[in-house]
Amino acid sequence: MSRRWWAGAIGLPAFLLAAVVFLQAQPQQSSALASSAAESSERPLLSQYCAGCHNERSKLGGFVLSTLDIENVAPHAERWEMVVRKLRARAMPPAGRPRPSEAQYERLIARLEASLDRAAEANPDPGRTDTFRRLNRTEYQNAIRDLLDLQVDVSTLLPSDDSSHGFDNISVGGLSPTLLERYLSAAQKISRLAVGTPPRSAGSETIVLPVDLTQDDHFDGQPLGTRAGTRVAHTFPADGEYQIVLRLTRDRDELIEGLNEPHQMEVSVDGVRQQMFTLMPRPRSSPVDLVEPKYSPDQASDSHLNFRTKITGGPHVVQVAFIKRPSALVETERQPYLAAYSSDRTPRTQPALYSVTIAGPFNPTGIGDTPSRARIFSCRPARASQEASCARAILASMARRAYRRPATGEDVETLQSFYRQGRAEGSFEHGIEMALRAMLTSPAFLFRIERTPMPADGRSPAADQKWPIYRISDLELASRLSFFLWSSIPDDALLDTAVKGRLADHGELEKHVLRMLADPRADALVNNFAAQWLYLRNLDSVKPDTRLFPDFDDNLRQAYRRETEMLFESVMKENRSILDLLRADYTFVNERLAKHYGIPNIYGSHFRKVELGNDHVRGGLLGQGSILTVTSYPNRTSPVLRGKWILENLLGTPVPPPPQNVPPLPENRPGDKVLTVRERMVQHRANPACASCHQLMDPVGLATEHFDAIGRYRTQSETGTPVDASGGLPDGSTFEGALGLRKAVLNRQDLFVTTLTVKLMTYALGRGLEYYDTPAVRRVTRTAKADDYRFSSVILGIVDSLPFRMRRS
Amino acid sequence: MIVSKLALPRRTFLRGVGATLALPLLDAMVPAFGGLSAATQPVRRLGVVYIPMGSNITEWMPKQVGQLTELSPSLGALTPFLKQINVLSNLELKNAYSSGNHATANCTFLSGVKAKMTEGSDYEMGITIDQIAAQQLGKDTALPSLELATDFNYVVGNCDNGFSCVYMNTLAWTGKTTPLPTEANPRVVFERLFGDGGSAADRKAELKKNGSILDWVTQDMARLGRRLGPSDRTRVEEYLDTLREVERRIQKAEQLDGAALPDVLTRPVGVPADWEEHAKLMFDLQVLALQADITRVITFQLAREVSTRTYPEIGVTDPHHAVSHHQNSPEKLAKLAKINAYHVSLFAYLLEKLRATKDGDGTLLDHSLYLMGSGLGNPDVHDHTNLPIVVAGGGASTKGGRHIKYTNPVPLTNLHTTLLDKVGIPVERFADSTGKIDELLEPLTL
Repeated sequence: MSRRWWAGAIGLPAFLLAAVVFLQAQPQQSSALASSAAESSERPLLSQYCAGCHNERSKLGGFVLSTLDIENVAPHAERWEMVVRKLRARAMPPAGRPRPSEAQYERLIARLEASLDRAAEANPDPGRTDTFRRLNRTEYQNAIRDLLDLQVDVSTLLPSDDSSHGFDNISVGGLSPTLLERYLSAAQKISRLAVGTPPRSAGSETIVLPVDLTQDDHFDGQPLGTRAGTRVAHTFPADGEYQIVLRLTRDRDELIEGLNEPHQMEVSVDGVRQQMFTLMPRPRSSPVDLVEPKYSPDQASDSHLNFRTKITGGPHVVQVAFIKRPSALVETERQPYLAAYSSDRTPRTQPALYSVTIAGPFNPTGIGDTPSRARIFSCRPARASQEASCARAILASMARRAYRRPATGEDVETLQSFYRQGRAEGSFEHGIEMALRAMLTSPAFLFRIERTPMPADGRSPAADQKWPIYRISDLELASRLSFFLWSSIPDDALLDTAVKGRLADHGELEKHVLRMLADPRADALVNNFAAQWLYLRNLDSVKPDTRLFPDFDDNLRQAYRRETEMLFESVMKENRSILDLLRADYTFVNERLAKHYGIPNIYGSHFRKVELGNDHVRGGLLGQGSILTVTSYPNRTSPVLRGKWILENLLGTPVPPPPQNVPPLPENRPGDKVLTVRERMVQHRANPACASCHQLMDPVGLATEHFDAIGRYRTQSETGTPVDASGGLPDGSTFEGALGLRKAVLNRQDLFVTTLTVKLMTYALGRGLEYYDTPAVRRVTRTAKADDYRFSSVILGIVDSLPFRMRRS
Repeated sequence: MIVSKLALPRRTFLRGVGATLALPLLDAMVPAFGGLSAATQPVRRLGVVYIPMGSNITEWMPKQVGQLTELSPSLGALTPFLKQINVLSNLELKNAYSSGNHATANCTFLSGVKAKMTEGSDYEMGITIDQIAAQQLGKDTALPSLELATDFNYVVGNCDNGFSCVYMNTLAWTGKTTPLPTEANPRVVFERLFGDGGSAADRKAELKKNGSILDWVTQDMARLGRRLGPSDRTRVEEYLDTLREVERRIQKAEQLDGAALPDVLTRPVGVPADWEEHAKLMFDLQVLALQADITRVITFQLAREVSTRTYPEIGVTDPHHAVSHHQNSPEKLAKLAKINAYHVSLFAYLLEKLRATKDGDGTLLDHSLYLMGSGLGNPDVHDHTNLPIVVAGGGASTKGGRHIKYTNPVPLTNLHTTLLDKVGIPVERFADSTGKIDELLEPLTL
């Protein structure tokens, strides 16, 4: 089924309507058979509360219940799962209609789920992940890191991946010629850099800082006593001379911004100062200066901000910063919240860095030891006669990790032929580089391939129906695990266990999962999984209107991202309950963010945990600036976007897409009475076509109206009236403000837990979840509940689930 | 790129390959490519520039019908090229109507067919006209086509109600299931066109190595295919097609290398912070690619559907998408027209460059056809009728300076079949086409 089942909707898509008609013909006999069985059934409940609308005549929402038999759910599991979802969310019967008691709800849900689970157990369906899944950008970058101990910026090597079901590791089956060309050229660049062959000509890398970055204060990770600047982790391709060129920000007249008094800059490599520069302001006036200049004209520009220095090949950190001036105390006298980057409104009062260019190597002299070379050259031939065997040893061990399985004789033989080709043209290392380049283009590296096991006699599996579902191999499981938890290739320990065929043992598997979660590589769950689930990736494209929000700058954007990442990280690393994501009584701030949030006594650029106490508006995801900002428009809040986001990503109860040709919400027009967003929403819901969905979304979003479009807390709305943040959930509960919303969501914690599980599982499997995955999801949440939904219990549950361990052939 | 040699101020440098790289270099390159482009038979080229979210049609559509002496406010920037442009109105994309109208406006624009509604990897479209053109025009070039954009697709979440982001991320599909990724980083585009340094001999050696790696990958893939079930074999066949195509490209590139590229080619440093500079740089690269005959087919998303970009440089600080839902508010309509005019002015920048570049017995503009427009008509209601469409170029073969206006909506694909005709690929029907835009064709001379 192509339509997203989980992210699917409250209304049924049109093609299911057709299916309904088709299915009605069949179940008649089975229901007749079953009806005599149990009169203690929930049938009366269904006919009392559901059948009034979902009968064959009314077919409300295109959903007919009256022809389904609750005593025999298996034939219509998909539709019964839909019923369960509606009931769990208390979305049906709709608020305002007669509804069963809580006890009746729970009993009905429990009963349905038990039957559905039984049916699934009798006829398990693990679904089918695609046979070929290309490594996406992130996975490729991490694989290179773990294979070659090499950091590369993949964004300049490969095109970005398309997102599906909310993640960019789903639509990864295609391989266009453009993409293949890019893999080829990436393999060339990476193998060269890893082996340390000096480039044929000097190259250059330019890092441009975000234009809306305020550069008035010390940046975290920069040398003490400095201000602003940047820190660049760069892999230098060879020992040699490199030129480092700095550019400063300029205004429209090409004048350096904020250069009103002398400033100093320093450039350091690996913490050692290499160069100091002095910047002199342009003299205020006068011919006198021209006759006898007190400054060098060069110093008034940034043209002298470059120098050459010798740097050894391999990874180094280049830091550029301004020396903090005592007079910079002026900064603190200014409006503390004002961002300073816009030359026409809030001009910079001090110079700021625009870009850093690293060019080279000039006169390369070879290469010494680098982490990559140490990783690759496990042996070094002393004599020509040792070369072949050394190459063989190197390539066999690299291939094992790159291909995520023991290297076959054929694998090694092929790579050796490439080695020989390169050796014939150059050195031993040149040969290894060529073999590496082939390895990185090999299908076994670029694709994760899950193959249905072939019968021993070589018949095609299609001709033999013995394997409708099967358990994936230990090696495939190892890859699923490492790509899920690390977005990267398995390490040796994981491969070793898989090769021994012991990974599927429960104890072994659990041991590996816990070990992997504790590994720094598990950060991928934060900056890859959570960044997509919570839309943190969209922060970069958020550009609030600078006139309305003069205090928004890149510093705040990065602080927002970091705060949310650190919250997720704390739940993961400290193995907390995933409910803490909603109810945390702590958060993470630096001075910039603390000021924005109004949290006192936080100084300095580094992030730290602060206790908020109970019931603090900033506690948990619903109070985080990152999410509040990505769900707003540049010029105002959007209760619709926020409501939709919360329903979809926290509660897992998305509303269907808008019908076609719905008139949009009227904007405030000049001359009209200015309306608050809430008042305009009311207008919107007056239209019945809009109301059916907006009455679900809007009240959720309206509860967050105390936060403006960049996540600042406010008590007055845009019209100057006090903010009205009353809201409600589709289950009929009503509440006040973000705290009320948080309580209401926690009140439906099973929805949140299920939603996060579904998101994690989608990401883990690389496919959208279907109705037949629901019993597995339930199993995960049920098991995790016993452990207070600790992070590891959810992960372990997923790893242990049917769809993760098995596959349809 | 060697920074030490760079005596230019940063601004000039960023502004571009426009100011500093393209012009002097283009001149420098003419002799190098003279052998390819000076032929008496003009090389045929097809370009597409997509603007998202329709137009303010009252400001867009010229008042005159037929012969044009004056353009509309939104199209004003095209006045210098009046003789070489045709404005078409009342074209429609019937198959773009869906619940994800932005996604389908984009993907139906060049395919004319309905997109399969899915958020999964089972997406389906149809071949797009640029790719039909590329099959023919691209046979002899190193790159059959070039797919460009100014947006990086890192946005996550819903792209458009039930439609995978892939539908919005590219205009070009080589087949039902094979979208072509776009590239927005000028430096990466440059490297695709001209490689990343070294002498001609070095580049040739690199191509040879890639060739031998591909040989092996092809064999490996074929072997893998034999061990798979029938459904997976189809996938492997697709991969094999891709491999063969890249092998062909490498061969072409090896031939091209014979015409040595000037060593002074300067790689752009990256993505300019200023959007206009970025867009212009992407246009400069298109001109370079066409002039060097590295490709003859280009699609370019000037901006993406549902773009929330603001344009403070022209006084529009609201996001484009929000402005496009104008609800007939005069203020918003005025802003939308401003954005339209701004985008058109950048297209005019391209035309200027094409016209300034000699190509054989004429200019690049004479030997290219560029389609510019949007797959949405009135963005406020997400309709796909009365699309804003302009065709530029074509030299003497196309009668220009006209506004072709239909009383009843005509499929956009009628224009597509006509464009294909014009670049030398006769096609009777394409998607939902019902005929051709006869007015665009020369009068028959029998």
